[in-house]
Amino acid sequence: MLQCTINGKELEVKPGTTIIEAMKLIAHEDIAHYCWHPGLPVAGVCRLCVVEIEGNPRLQIACNTQITDGMKITNQSEKVKEAVKWGLDFHLINHPLDCPICDQAGECELQNQYMKFGKYDSEMAEPKVKKHKVVDLGPRVVLDSERCILCSRCVRFTDEVTKTHELGIFNRGDRSEIGTFNGRPLDNKYSLNTVDICPVGALTSKDFRFRQRVWFLKEHQTICTGCSTGCNVKVSYNKEGLFRVKPVYNEQVNGYWMCDEGRDVYKYVNKPARLLDAWMTTAGRGEWLHPLTAAKKVGEFLRAPENKGKSVALVLTGQHTLEEYEALISFFKNEVGTDRIFHWVNNPESMNDFDGLLIRGDKNPNTKGLLETLERHGIKTEWKELIDGLSTGAIRTVVVAGPENQAVYPDFKAKVLELSKAQKLVWLTACKNEELERLQGDVTLIPLKTYIEKDGTFVNYAGLRQTVKKGLTVVANAMSLVEVAEAFKGVDVRPEEAPFKVGVGRVNNEATLQRGSL
Amino acid sequence: MFKLSEEGLNYVKSEMARYEQKQSAIIRALYRAQDENGGWVSPEVIQHLSEVMDIPASHIEEVATFYTMFNKQPVGKYHIQVCCTLSCAMAGGRELTDLMMKEAGCSKLGETSPDGLFTFSKVECLGSCGTAPMLQINREPYIENLDEQKAIQLIRDLRAKAGK
Repeated sequence: MLQCTINGKELEVKPGTTIIEAMKLIAHEDIAHYCWHPGLPVAGVCRLCVVEIEGNPRLQIACNTQITDGMKITNQSEKVKEAVKWGLDFHLINHPLDCPICDQAGECELQNQYMKFGKYDSEMAEPKVKKHKVVDLGPRVVLDSERCILCSRCVRFTDEVTKTHELGIFNRGDRSEIGTFNGRPLDNKYSLNTVDICPVGALTSKDFRFRQRVWFLKEHQTICTGCSTGCNVKVSYNKEGLFRVKPVYNEQVNGYWMCDEGRDVYKYVNKPARLLDAWMTTAGRGEWLHPLTAAKKVGEFLRAPENKGKSVALVLTGQHTLEEYEALISFFKNEVGTDRIFHWVNNPESMNDFDGLLIRGDKNPNTKGLLETLERHGIKTEWKELIDGLSTGAIRTVVVAGPENQAVYPDFKAKVLELSKAQKLVWLTACKNEELERLQGDVTLIPLKTYIEKDGTFVNYAGLRQTVKKGLTVVANAMSLVEVAEAFKGVDVRPEEAPFKVGVGRVNNEATLQRGSL
Repeated sequence: MFKLSEEGLNYVKSEMARYEQKQSAIIRALYRAQDENGGWVSPEVIQHLSEVMDIPASHIEEVATFYTMFNKQPVGKYHIQVCCTLSCAMAGGRELTDLMMKEAGCSKLGETSPDGLFTFSKVECLGSCGTAPMLQINREPYIENLDEQKAIQLIRDLRAKAGK
């Protein structure tokens, strides 16, 4: 271990640690920087992270200088402040100040650094160099070259992380621009990470751009339910719903990154995709009911002596939390008296695929948790038994839970057709679906909460348990499976709501409501 | 589609073997490919080199766009690069360019004359200030100590040489 002093703080660091790592990650000191990113190799191009080292006549860049024993480092001296200030001036020479129409505004490193370290009167009299704007880089990313400060983070990302090498810095001097060779698209499964790591508004996401200002958004940390990797993510939301998903660092799971598919997962959480109330057909006539009423009616039916027992089947997907599986399986085993509990596997042939980075073929967050719970209850069934039981009439009632994310269930339509052979079908689902609405006969649909709206535990592919917390409520009446199981027992549960409710109060201009007085 | 000749391919391979990193051979390879492609580096050239050298096309494009010696647009048979940095400019490099362009039938810098022979560029210092004004044709040795008569004669000679 090496001894060093950073801004007066005594530190012990491992050999090989760079000054910026010690500063940001160990000493938690503020240091200006653009090009350095902990998940990428060092480039040393922005020259903003300069520090003064005692005994060294010149300022050094913190990102590419390793700590030696006894080093005394500071970035608080006037010399450093001056260097950073004028370094910023150079970065902003050709930067258009189009913050009012820039998507990065509010989370822009140029704005942040300027307010912290800049605040100078610009001495540039030259006209700004014009470059390409609104370049369609690929299916998900848009480039504005003028805003780019050439930190090369995105280039290093495609070179080192995805190893697809699409991006490069072309031309020279102040005509340098980020681009792709011969207009090829930036089309890889992780392309939106370049937007995350872009410190300015040069790379923007097609999905998010011009939809919300970031200061109208709150963040909630959760787990991505797009596949069994279980990346740590944060969703940005406000009273209109969810707007985007970004990765959160977790060394054990996803590092700094997440895939592009996972960023689409939020879409089904928003109201337009959701089932808002329960739909129940009785004696050939359908009606909309409060979900609790519907669930209690279903519960009464299931617990009735003439319907109980092995004629009831439960179908589960890998999309719910451990707690929910436990509650529902216990209810069916103990109160209904059936062990016909089936696991709906959405893509058996690609279940074990892995792309080498993050994306796994199992498109469920909790398949492992479901299998564990089933095993603990000693339940071992095969899908074929369900189909046979339906055709022979041995299974008359089917209760299906999920899936939440129907987009990753290519066999959804086929399964609906198969299961609709049951005399009574109860489908617990978060999202509405045409196939389900078209069903004739004795069908009940009960709206479920999504992963943002409930507490619970997911077990990822490696067996790591990760918890999600409820952050916001999109559909007020929707129930979690735990609540559904309670309601099945006849308990008057009120669906618990998250502290934040979507679609309440004024939308669009929420910040004005929260503004304090001067 | 562009393809290096067999000799060219061998040259590129031997250059790659010369350096510790094969990236170091990019400039050499680009020069060779530019010569074989009639004086300019087209996207096909870069694509071909990328395959031959097993380096991502974007990395080769970075080098090709960084250096002005690689032409990103087609040029005529004679790419005339007139130095217009300080010494040459003061000795009349810019006026000579206009004169030669008129003689060659070129209307704009960077445009090729209708007979396909000449393309003119103004370039930065070529390092021969003592013999200003001077120019370079393609990658041939410099032509120095120019004056009006010499410049016009040069165009006429080149045209005669090309048989037009």
